[in-house]
Amino acid sequence: MKRYDLLTPEGTRDQLFDECLAKRTIQEKLRKIFTAYGYSEVITPGLEFYDVFNSKTRYFPPETMYKLVDGKNRLMVMRPDNTMPIARLAATRLREEKLPLKLYYNQSIFMVNPKKSGRDDEFTQSGIEILGGERVAADYEALSLAAQALFAIDEDFTLEIGESGILQTVVEDLNLPEEKSEQIHSLIESKNFPALSEALAGMSGSAAEAVRALPSLFGESEVFAEAEKYMYSKELRTKLAGLRATYEALCSMEYSDRIKVDLGLAHKKNYYTGILFRGYVEGYGLPVLSGGRYDDLLGDFGRNAAAVGFAVNVEAAAKVFLRNTSEPLTKPADVLVFSEPGCEIAALNHCSELIDSGLTVFNSLFATADEAAQYARAHGIKRIDAVGVNSAVTTKEV
Amino acid sequence: MKNKTIRIALTKGRLENKTVDLLDKIGYDVTELREKGRRLILSIPGEDIEVVLAKAADVITYVEHGVCDIGVVGKDTIMEHGGKFFEISDLGFGRCKFALAGKKGSNFYEGYGVKTVATKYPEVTRSFFENKGMDVDIVKIEGSVELAPLVGLADGIVDIVETGTTLKENGLEVWEDVAPISARIIVNTVSMKLKQQRIAEIVKQIEENL
Repeated sequence: MKRYDLLTPEGTRDQLFDECLAKRTIQEKLRKIFTAYGYSEVITPGLEFYDVFNSKTRYFPPETMYKLVDGKNRLMVMRPDNTMPIARLAATRLREEKLPLKLYYNQSIFMVNPKKSGRDDEFTQSGIEILGGERVAADYEALSLAAQALFAIDEDFTLEIGESGILQTVVEDLNLPEEKSEQIHSLIESKNFPALSEALAGMSGSAAEAVRALPSLFGESEVFAEAEKYMYSKELRTKLAGLRATYEALCSMEYSDRIKVDLGLAHKKNYYTGILFRGYVEGYGLPVLSGGRYDDLLGDFGRNAAAVGFAVNVEAAAKVFLRNTSEPLTKPADVLVFSEPGCEIAALNHCSELIDSGLTVFNSLFATADEAAQYARAHGIKRIDAVGVNSAVTTKEV
Repeated sequence: MKNKTIRIALTKGRLENKTVDLLDKIGYDVTELREKGRRLILSIPGEDIEVVLAKAADVITYVEHGVCDIGVVGKDTIMEHGGKFFEISDLGFGRCKFALAGKKGSNFYEGYGVKTVATKYPEVTRSFFENKGMDVDIVKIEGSVELAPLVGLADGIVDIVETGTTLKENGLEVWEDVAPISARIIVNTVSMKLKQQRIAEIVKQIEENL
């Protein structure tokens, strides 16, 4: 039988040294932003009941979740998303808590990607959820934090916003069977203009016109004037005006030249009900940040509260961060400490003295001074302290 | 750090030639693309465009990962391979179709037995019969699929049909069309936003010269 004891499963990997440091650096930068704004951390289980992610609206296709069974043969999943467990938490243990609740998380999620696609099946998300609060104010705060998070990853970021309510209303007004509406949503999401025009063939009216136009309406402020022409009802005009106000509010903040809008922005997780946003950085082929408003999700768990949030893909952000950093993140120790035979405790004592004085040490553990010197040269350690009898220390620069 | 070059991935072979003709017609200098030798990355002199040649499925992979911004690839590969990208334009060339075919005169849907279908495109076949709510056994074949029904391995085949000559010469016929095929322009979802103007310009030039 073939043994797999030397391999990690496809889509997972061991992360070493600089990769870890880059990841921790990103997590720390984000944590700083979140805690500075008064967000509290939550950690939810890596294992959840399948039912949490199998609400009647089915945001998560069953084939994308890692499943296992517990001792009572109940179906479990490896957490495929961070927002659903937090919605569950808000409706249960935090039920009595006054709103608004501001939470942040920093934990991995698991999903089954198509094999050999080079995508991670396990990756870390760092993000926030604002539960409750006045909608516009909460949207602005979430967007402002998203911009700050992106700035921390790469100063040259792009933050794009959209409004899921516009697309939803317009597609609903086509009065199509559910399957067909879903197809149209996915064609808009993939900006598949040829297939979209085919799917809408023979349909006329303002809703069909709007569906044809929306996916190509993306860019900067000029988009709004163009979109205005396709907003055929008061409801739609209000939604567009809301999005425009948000866009202008964001532009009035620090990062004005980095804000974009896409009226065809759709999201595969259709629990979003209002504003949608994504963060891009040059040289990474997928969004590094995504989020939006989801006002109905908590209701699915029995607590009616509006909410907005976003998640940063930490591995992606770390990759970008590593690429933008020219020098290695892992630094050699300042001093290599070598102990003569029998002086091991004296060497450890010397180590703690050095550490107390603000240096980093590598206690060499070698039997001979030659091996220790060799190691120091190979690893770029500039100073060797040899500890002998009576705690005598001889310092040598390499 | 700022990399504003537009990298286009072309499917090697017929689609490549058609696309190069198109770029030529637009007015780009395509000498290097025509005399490429064994090189895989080619440039268009004086332009911010770089051309990469790859196998069809790889065009999708490169675009999906964002190492190429734009790709030209057949709908057949998109249907079989899937993926996350914008599929923004139908180039209209490389036109043919997926069809269900089998021995002339026999009826695929007859009887209660589960049918066996041979194909080079198991995903396309699976989703076609899934939409019909029909269970079939799918056998993946790498070479000439037409052989499978002739030697009794399969009841029918799902394959790309252009003229139908191969089918005819082997006593087979098309029973049903599965989907039309033609060349498409695909764009990476992030590039589309970060290099919006230049990509829109290139796509417009291409569409105007079809």
